[in-house]
Amino acid sequence: MSSKESYRVELRSAARQLSDRCLYSAAKWAAELLVDIEPDAHAPASSVSASASSSAASALATPSTSSAARPLSHLHPDASAYRRRLRSAAASGDIAATPPAGVSYISTPVPDDDGLNSDGGNDRYLLAKSYFDCHEYRRAAHVLRGQTGKKAGFLRCYALYLAGEKRKEEEMIELEGSLGKSDVVNSELISLERELSSLRRIGSIDSFGLYLYGLVLKDKGCESLAVTVFVESVNSFPWNWSAWLELQSLCTNTDTLNKLNLKNHWMKDFFLASAYQELKMHEEALKRHECLLGVFRSSDYIQSQIATALYSLRQLDEAEVIFEDLLRNDPYRVESMDIYSNLLYAKECFSALSFLAHRVFLTDKYRPESCCIIANYYSLKGQHEKSVLYFRRALKLNRKYLSAWTLMGHEYVEMKNTPAAIEAYRRAIEINPRDYRAWYGLGQTYEVMNMPFYALYYFRKSSYLQPNDSRLWIAMAQCYESAPLQMLEEAIKCYTRAANSIDSEGIALHRLAKLHSVLGHSEQAAFFYKKDLERMEAEGRQGPNMVEAMLYLARYYKSEKKFEEAEFYCTRLLDYTGPVFTSQASESHLVTSCPLPVKGVAKASEISLLAYVKLRAMGSAQEE
Amino acid sequence: MAGGGSLKEGGSPVFDITPHKIAVCHLVQVFALHTQPDMPFVFQSVSHHHRLGLFLFSLTRSCEGFLEPSLEELLNQLKALGGLAMLSEHLISNLLVLSSPDDLFNFFDKLRGVLAAPEGSSMEEEQALLDPNSHLGIFIRCCILTFNMLPFEGVCHLLTNLVAYCNSNDSTYEMAEDDDFNGSEFHELLEDPEVDCESAELEEYGLQNDTQAAENLTHIPSKFLSSFLEDNQASDSPRIKHGDDGSQSGGLVPLLNNNFRTDDNLGVLRSRWQIEGYLNMQADLLEKDAISFPLYSFSATLRQLQKLAPELHRVRYLQYLNALYHNDYLSALDELHCYFDYSAGMEGLFSRSPSPSSEFEVGRYETALLCLGTLQCHFGHPKKALEALTEAVRISQQNSDDSCLAYTLAAICKLLSEIGISNMTGIIGSPYSLGTTTGLGTPLSTQQQLLVLLKRSLERADHLKHTNLLAFNHLALAKFDLKHVKKPLLSFGPKASMKLRTCPTSVCRELRLSSHVLSEFGTDGLLQLNDTGSFSTSWLKNLSAVGNPWLKKLQKPRSLSVNDYDTFQFYAQPSPIPGSVLQLAGASYLLRATSWEHYGSAPLVRMNALVYATCFADAASSSELSLAYVKLIQHLSVFKGYTEAFNALKLAEEKFSVSSTHIRLLKLQLLHARSLHRGNIQEAQQVCDQFGVLASSVTGVDMELKTEASLRHARTLLAANQFSQAAAVASNLFCTCYKFNMQVENATVLLLLAEIHKKSGDAVLGLSYVLASLSFCKTFNLDLLEASATVTLAELWLSLGSSHAKKASSLIYQALPVILGHGGLELRARANIAVAKCLLADPSYLVSEDPDAVLDPLSQASEELQILEYHEMAAEAFYLMAIIFNSLGRQMDRGLIISSDTELFSTVSTHGNFHLACHTMSFQLVYTSV
Repeated sequence: MSSKESYRVELRSAARQLSDRCLYSAAKWAAELLVDIEPDAHAPASSVSASASSSAASALATPSTSSAARPLSHLHPDASAYRRRLRSAAASGDIAATPPAGVSYISTPVPDDDGLNSDGGNDRYLLAKSYFDCHEYRRAAHVLRGQTGKKAGFLRCYALYLAGEKRKEEEMIELEGSLGKSDVVNSELISLERELSSLRRIGSIDSFGLYLYGLVLKDKGCESLAVTVFVESVNSFPWNWSAWLELQSLCTNTDTLNKLNLKNHWMKDFFLASAYQELKMHEEALKRHECLLGVFRSSDYIQSQIATALYSLRQLDEAEVIFEDLLRNDPYRVESMDIYSNLLYAKECFSALSFLAHRVFLTDKYRPESCCIIANYYSLKGQHEKSVLYFRRALKLNRKYLSAWTLMGHEYVEMKNTPAAIEAYRRAIEINPRDYRAWYGLGQTYEVMNMPFYALYYFRKSSYLQPNDSRLWIAMAQCYESAPLQMLEEAIKCYTRAANSIDSEGIALHRLAKLHSVLGHSEQAAFFYKKDLERMEAEGRQGPNMVEAMLYLARYYKSEKKFEEAEFYCTRLLDYTGPVFTSQASESHLVTSCPLPVKGVAKASEISLLAYVKLRAMGSAQEE
Repeated sequence: MAGGGSLKEGGSPVFDITPHKIAVCHLVQVFALHTQPDMPFVFQSVSHHHRLGLFLFSLTRSCEGFLEPSLEELLNQLKALGGLAMLSEHLISNLLVLSSPDDLFNFFDKLRGVLAAPEGSSMEEEQALLDPNSHLGIFIRCCILTFNMLPFEGVCHLLTNLVAYCNSNDSTYEMAEDDDFNGSEFHELLEDPEVDCESAELEEYGLQNDTQAAENLTHIPSKFLSSFLEDNQASDSPRIKHGDDGSQSGGLVPLLNNNFRTDDNLGVLRSRWQIEGYLNMQADLLEKDAISFPLYSFSATLRQLQKLAPELHRVRYLQYLNALYHNDYLSALDELHCYFDYSAGMEGLFSRSPSPSSEFEVGRYETALLCLGTLQCHFGHPKKALEALTEAVRISQQNSDDSCLAYTLAAICKLLSEIGISNMTGIIGSPYSLGTTTGLGTPLSTQQQLLVLLKRSLERADHLKHTNLLAFNHLALAKFDLKHVKKPLLSFGPKASMKLRTCPTSVCRELRLSSHVLSEFGTDGLLQLNDTGSFSTSWLKNLSAVGNPWLKKLQKPRSLSVNDYDTFQFYAQPSPIPGSVLQLAGASYLLRATSWEHYGSAPLVRMNALVYATCFADAASSSELSLAYVKLIQHLSVFKGYTEAFNALKLAEEKFSVSSTHIRLLKLQLLHARSLHRGNIQEAQQVCDQFGVLASSVTGVDMELKTEASLRHARTLLAANQFSQAAAVASNLFCTCYKFNMQVENATVLLLLAEIHKKSGDAVLGLSYVLASLSFCKTFNLDLLEASATVTLAELWLSLGSSHAKKASSLIYQALPVILGHGGLELRARANIAVAKCLLADPSYLVSEDPDAVLDPLSQASEELQILEYHEMAAEAFYLMAIIFNSLGRQMDRGLIISSDTELFSTVSTHGNFHLACHTMSFQLVYTSV
């Protein structure tokens, strides 16, 4: 339909403009998206390319390869169940291909390339671009000196900026190890800032220039000005995904995000979705991404974002399906595969993880994500030294790789190297002070060191950042409960918080019941035992906790002289399909020696079997 | 040693070769080789040569800032040396010559020639070469070594920095700020919420003009170049003028400025040793006088330093201290955890040697807990503090860190003694508890536990030879002995006969023992830590002060308590005794003053407070110093009346900032006492309410303040003749004091209760209270209070009838020596009046026979009371005198009395005491009718 068509036109021209200015990753993103737009069944491919060529200003170079060839390719029949489900939902439900009613996007005119003043200038630009492509940035800048066009000016500045960045990286290694912190700055920043700010003042700066100006400002630490500049940039040229990403990195809380004065372009939806994801508002992110999926039906990017959100919401199975699908679709993809590896780690899928690691290793072993995946694999295998080695490599490649720092901290904890673990966690916090995992890790480390009071501070921090996570509250409660502190009242408060949020493992209820019984609050204890029992019944679980609960309840009702209830629990106890026990003494004995390990083994074998089946399925899919 | 300190520490990159060091090396070369024929520079005199040597020495040791001085500053300092003008040009030209890596190689090659050949080789010429083991020799060797270890990239960096360093000199001193360049910086500053406060703060410093404030703000980044404190002081007019001049002549030098900026960004740090000296100095200053450190700008300085030297974790500790002393709980907590997360296991607070041990250590986490405990204690969370400290005990036992354990025990003692905890069970009741290890089955009271802890901590400190800690513990023991009766720990078995009294001699002994630090700190290994380069710093500062006359004027006593050294004296050095030792020694004097306050010797209180204020002002923190002043002023108010006291208070308020709690309290105390004496009940009540607000609302915290507040409340009620209410407040207070074991306060409260009953006319009930108070006074050796109680007792006997006059007068005569020797104006007057009353009540005494025996004390009392502005009592004295004159028939004198009495009468009648007023009135009527 028309909107899709206009998206296509916009993206096509944008991708070209971006790659003209050597903004490659943004160009890549735009091109990917262009391909992923759901083709209109009725519009023939030729008309698409025709309209594109008519609207785009200088469509000289090979326009059709991308748009014409691919749409057919992703209609192939192996589209996943999830995708199909979504598609049917889109067809039937309100997630229509057109933007939802009430949202009217303003159309931003695709800016023309400014005419270069002379042929000589154009030639020089060509030369500069080729130098640039060969990573000879200073040469490129040198060739373009004295050129007045906006495009040439941008490329010159950008080349200078990158040259400075390159030098900065080198200096960092020269002056210190690459893992060390250092304050080396890009030496070009000041002259660039001067030039760009004066250009901005006289108004002869385009959105790309603004983007670069924003980068410079951000590097200098003038963040609020950088935000305004980025907003200006994306408002005048919304297709530059890199600019959006920079903007997102500056929005560290919802307040700044909501205060942004953004034009209502459809790219804003992408931005918001991604920003929500980053701010851990996973539900909102998921909603927006699913909405976008209506238009960009087969976008890998959106799929991966959805999968990430699902993973963060701990819906592991759904996320796994999408990731598998992604990998099938694009076997050489490395982006966001680290999250997939985390997922596989959480599900303990050894072979799938090894398979993934092998694949990314062959694709590009010097990507931080690849190293992280390999490290995850080793960690799952229990080879923590090797795991740390690969995490370190990942961090060498990207010092701001947040999750790698945290995960490395976990590895160090496993290796009982607490100072190193603490340092790793601290580095993660330095990168993002809102990373509750790292705070939690720090707390755990100190708890391991038998300093529960000290650890409390960290748990408090993490639960402040993630107030609805029962695990954090339980950790805090365990600290209060620990032998040196024995602050049971506080522990009860924390467990109550945990029980009120979703407590999947059901620790909180049981502990609450137990603590109350220890403190002699028999009524509350009975209440929580009962609740716990109900929960276990609902989940169809069995175990020593059940015995304990029933035993307590039976005794409680007996002491309360409510013999009917007491009898009820006693008979249930007798019916309990555990190992045989006859007297109460043996019952209480059983409480301590639980049959759980056996069950754990069974589960583990189940899991490995499952993984094996999956692997086979994947292999067969590839063979096809 | 010194300059190369960091090289020992595993090649930490903080000692790197920098342009500044090259310049210094060059100067050293000139200094050493000046006799050689090929040196173009000739010294005018030997003293010039020596001065240069001293200057170089100071330069490599001083620690007034963390950044190395720019070439500009170096040249200025050289200029200040005098007579070395040629040297600066020589230096510049030689630095400019270094333009390629090879030049640098040659330079350092030549530098090697400065060092004398090692012993054994022949000395052909008579040359004054540098001893390789001298301070400068080591510095040169470090530089050469570092340069030789540099890779080619490093040499290139050095060269770039050198160019920037030389160029910075070309730009005008008045750092012209290009507009848009600074704009961004300014924006950045504005972004931070803190800046608002900052400008507010600056406005407080007297910058009303907004633009000026803004101008000043833009200077903050550049200010990091030199010592922060100084600049802050100097930030008034001259700085701003500089800025204005610069912006007018701006545009000329933006490029150079940029160079300077990048240079600034590269961060030319001093050597690690110097930075640590700087940090230690700042920490000391912070502790001494936190108010002179604006919270935000100092933390900005620290952040800058942290950016430049991220491996120096100590900076975070300073951040913590900064937040702590500015009462910012949250950020103090954050910084504390951050510091220990990074440094625990690496850097110990108590490690004796400045260089941390190289072996990998899992430990020092107990120190974190100790600090956490003291933090919680500082912010008034005793329970949390105790939790942290018990955990610290556990972890230090686990890691067998004895010194930390000793410190932790001392911290617990301090906590227990400062904060009222009525019931210990449940707080230190865990299996790891401290109290149960004494092996005694019975639970110990808080005080007994405290005593056990103190003794153990003392033993431990003695065992570990921590002199400071030992002194502290002796002080704590003295404090304990002052206020508590030692009871036998065993609750069963044969009891040794024990006098249930406090023992002043033991207090004195502990105090003397604590002063031992002064003589023994040398053996403690503290001496080497002491040498932090502060001498060099102060020398250099003096130098710059001489160089710029306007700066000299600005260098008013920066910190209120620093001894002022003459500006240009080479021998003016700071005290060789470390500040912490001085502080402890001073604390013992302060405690002496307090103990004499208890025992009731006013002159000795005054003397000790004076000794403290004059001799230990250098090391004292502002709060402790203000305490000494408070004692002196209190003394004044008691002995010289309120006018003098308020005059002194005004001076003290100028000296300390208004926010000093001690001073604020003192002001309230004085106001309250004066308004009570003047009979201004309403005002007294207002002041009383303010008193109550000052105390924290947490139970157990600020106990002294709370006690005093309710004591004063009861007094106010008493003055307003609301006896039953006053008695209720007082008995309530008695209960609290009893609960928290504050027996010394109990004596005062009981006496007050007696006074209340005396005034309400229930003398019999009053007697029992005053006797109880007396026994408390005896137990705790509170002589002055005992005398006061004796006077009250006499008064009570008197009020029971004239038959008791004999007993009363004997009681008073018994107390009179103490009262006349040490008592304040009020007490003396009371005693005098009581003496007169006794005589008057005595049937065997006839006024006509010996009128002076009554009149003398009365007139003295009335004089003293008038100084005190205690109108009510003065009126009583006058009344008695008038009666006597009446009976003697001395009309003239009586008339005089009456005329002065009518003044008093007006005040008395407006404020209550109707009884007396009626008396006076009837008396006047009688007089006028006659």
